[in-house]
Amino acid sequence: MSALPAVAAWREAAACHDELFAALDPGARIGLVARGTPAAMLLWEVGSAGIEVREAPFPGFSASGADVLLAADAEALATICAAADKQLFEVLRAGIRSGAVVCYILRRRCDLEERGFDELLDALGFAFMGACR
Amino acid sequence: MKPGELKLPHLFQPGQLGRFKTRNRIKYGACCVSNYNTRDGFITEREIARMRVIARTGCGIITNQGAYPDPLGEGKAYFRQVAIFDDKFLPQFERIAADIRENGAMSIQQILHAGRYGGIDLGYCIQPSDVPQTLPHFRPPKVMTKEEIRDCIRQHAEAADRAIRAGFDGTEITSFMGYLLANFNSRFTNQRSDEYGGSIENRGRFMRELIDGIKQATPDNPLVVRLNGAELMDKWGGNTEDECFELMQQAVDAGVDMISVTVGWQEAPESSIGRDIPPGYWNYLSERAKKCFPKTLITFGNRLPDPRMADECLRDGVFDFWEVCRPLLADPELIHKAAEDRLDEARRCIGSLNCLSRLFRDLPYTCTMNPALGHEVEPEYQVTPAVVKKKIMVIGAGPAGMECAITAAKRGHEVTVFDKAARIGGNLYAYAMNDLARPDDLLSVISHYEVVAKKLGIEIRLNTEVRAKFMRSVLHQYDVCVVAAGARTDRAPYENMEGADLMLDALDVAHGRVAAGKRVVVIGGGKIGLTIAEALRKNQGAEVTVVEKDKRIAGDVKPSFKWRHASWVEELAIPCLTSSRPVRVTRDGVTVRDAKGAETFLPADTVILAADSKPAHELFHEFEWMVDELHGIGDALIPRGLEQAIQEGFRLGVRL
Repeated sequence: MSALPAVAAWREAAACHDELFAALDPGARIGLVARGTPAAMLLWEVGSAGIEVREAPFPGFSASGADVLLAADAEALATICAAADKQLFEVLRAGIRSGAVVCYILRRRCDLEERGFDELLDALGFAFMGACR
Repeated sequence: MKPGELKLPHLFQPGQLGRFKTRNRIKYGACCVSNYNTRDGFITEREIARMRVIARTGCGIITNQGAYPDPLGEGKAYFRQVAIFDDKFLPQFERIAADIRENGAMSIQQILHAGRYGGIDLGYCIQPSDVPQTLPHFRPPKVMTKEEIRDCIRQHAEAADRAIRAGFDGTEITSFMGYLLANFNSRFTNQRSDEYGGSIENRGRFMRELIDGIKQATPDNPLVVRLNGAELMDKWGGNTEDECFELMQQAVDAGVDMISVTVGWQEAPESSIGRDIPPGYWNYLSERAKKCFPKTLITFGNRLPDPRMADECLRDGVFDFWEVCRPLLADPELIHKAAEDRLDEARRCIGSLNCLSRLFRDLPYTCTMNPALGHEVEPEYQVTPAVVKKKIMVIGAGPAGMECAITAAKRGHEVTVFDKAARIGGNLYAYAMNDLARPDDLLSVISHYEVVAKKLGIEIRLNTEVRAKFMRSVLHQYDVCVVAAGARTDRAPYENMEGADLMLDALDVAHGRVAAGKRVVVIGGGKIGLTIAEALRKNQGAEVTVVEKDKRIAGDVKPSFKWRHASWVEELAIPCLTSSRPVRVTRDGVTVRDAKGAETFLPADTVILAADSKPAHELFHEFEWMVDELHGIGDALIPRGLEQAIQEGFRLGVRL
C-alpha cells in the first residue's frame, strides 16, 4: 500500500504555504489519497485555529467531505512525501499535468470561490484545466 | 457541375446513409448546443432562424443539436439545451426537420445525455460510478442503478422514435467530450463491478444495449454513434486508443450505421480542437477506423476545417463523410464557396473557441468570425441594400475597419479605407507574427478581408494617416467617417517614472519596427505582453521576464486560451513577477516593486511596455464638425480583442 505523508509533515507543508490557505473559509477541506484502492485519506481542514491535519479512513468520494481531493499514484506519493516543503505545490501541479495525480473537484466553481479556493486552485495549476479545447 | 465541384470531386460525390441518399459527403456536425432555447427545453424562434441558415449550407447530412432525453434533466448539460423527452416538444423539431428536407439534406437528430456533465438544474449528475469530475463546472455524481440504466436506455429509444416521428431521417447518440455513453465506456469513470463494468466487454454493454434499443425503436432509420478515437484521458486512467477502437468494434457488431470518430473529453488535460492543434493532426484516428471497419461508414472532422483537405481525405479513404460544424458557424456559405471555386472568399474558423468559452459561462454561443451567428432572427443583423447610398471613409484597416467597410460595401455604399501602415490588418498582423499557436489562422482573417474588399471594389489607401489636416483636404467628400484606428500603448501612467522613455513600445516590437535585445523585461502580462514575451523567448532565444501588476497573468485572455499562455510561460521558463510594477528603468535594467513594497532589480538590455492600451479618442474630437456622420468602432472605442472588433465593425456596417 502506498504511504501517505506523515501528519506532521503535512501540517508543516500547509504552514509553508500560508498564503494559499489564508483565504479559505473554516470547514474547507483538501484531501489526499492513494490512487487505485484508497484506504486512508489525509486531510487539510481549516479550523478555528488555522489548518488542522488529520488522517482518516477513506469513506469514498461522496462521503469524504472534501472540497478538493488529490489522488496520487505510488510514485507521485513518494515524490509528494519528499517535497512536503516549499516545493510541494510545484510537485502537485506537475503531477496533475502529467497524470500522476488526479485532482477531483467535489464542489462547484461558485462554491469553491465562495470558500476562498482561488489561490489554492491557481497553485494547483487550474489555468491548465479548461473545458473543450 | 460547378467549377469547385470539379476541383473537389470526392467531397461533392453523392453518398448514402441507410436508405437515404445524400447529395455529397458533407455532414454538418451537431456542434455542441447553441444555448438559444428556453430554460425548460423548448426550441425558440432564434434557434429556428439559425437552423434555417444551417439547412441552407449545402451539406448532404445535417445533424440537429443534441437534445436531452429524460424528464428530470439528468442528461441536460447546458443552460438552454433542448429537450426531447415528450411529444410537447415536437412542433419545433418538425419545423427544423422539414426545413432541412426541403433544402435537400438528410436530417439527423442527436440525443445527448451528458452523464457526468449533466444535471445542470439539479444538485447531482448521474454516472456509472462515483467518480467526481476534475473541473469545477459540474454536479456531484450519483451512481446509476441497473433499473436506472434500463430506464435511461428506454428514454433514449423513445427519444429516437420521437425524432423520427418529427420527420428526422435518423438519430445520433454521442460520447463526445465525455458524456454518459463515454462514462460507461471509459475505465476512468466506469468502476462498476456488475455486468456494466470491469472488462471492456462489460463497459461496452450500455452502448450495445443503447444501440439495440434505438434500432428496435427505429428499425428503418440509420443510427450514428459518436465515439472517441482518443479520450485523451488515458493519463488519468481512461481508455487507451486501442480500447477506444475495441469499443468501436462493439458498436459495429451491434449494428450501428455510421461511426463519428471524435477526440477528447472536456476534462482532458490536453488540447483537441483549439487552434494550437494543426489541421489534420487527428486524421490518423479516422484512418484507423476506416481500416478497421471498412464496411461501416466513418465520419470525421475534428480540427479539419478545410474542404480541400477533406477532399483529399475522402480520396485517400480516411473517412466516408467529412463532419464539419465550427467552420460552418464561421462561414455558413463555406460549402457553396467551395462548390463555386470561391474558397479564397471563405471566412475560416480560427479555432478561438469563443463558442465554447461562452457555453461554459451559460451564455448563447457566438462566433468570433461570424457576427450574425445567433442573431439570424433579428432584422438589425441582416445585410440589406442601403436606402441611401453614402460615401464612407473608414480610418483604420484592422479587423474592425475592414469588417465595417465590407459590410457597408455589400449594402451598396461606396467605401474607402485609409491606414497609415503599408498593409491592412492593423495590430492583428503584429499579433499573428508573434503568435506561437497558429499564425496562419490569424493571417487568414487578413487575407479574407483583402480578397473580399477587392471583389467589392473597396478602395484602400495605405501609408495614409488621417488627422485633422488630411480631413480638411477631403472636406465634404464623404458622408460618413468611421474611426477604427485602434489603440496604442498607454505611456501616461509611467510619464513621471525615471527612465520611462527607455521603454520600447510593445506594438513597435510586435510589428518589427524595433528589435529587442537578448535580455528582455516585458511590463504587462496580458495578451500583448505574453505574446511578445513568448515569441522573443521561443523564436529569438531571448531571456525574458514578465512583470504584471495584477495577481495573475493573462487577465484579458479568452477563457479557452488562458491555459495555453500559462502553459507556454511554464514550458519556455519565462519568470512572471505578479503584483509588481516598474519603479525605475535604466540602460542596465528595470527595478520593480511588489505588493509588499520589496524592490527587485531585473537586469535587461530591453524593457518593453505592454501594459494598458489607450484608444484613439482624440480623433473623434478632431473630426467633429468636419463630417456629417462620425462613428467609432473596435479598439478605437475601448481596447478589447478581435471578436469585439469584428462584431462592432459588422454591426455598424449593417446600419450605416
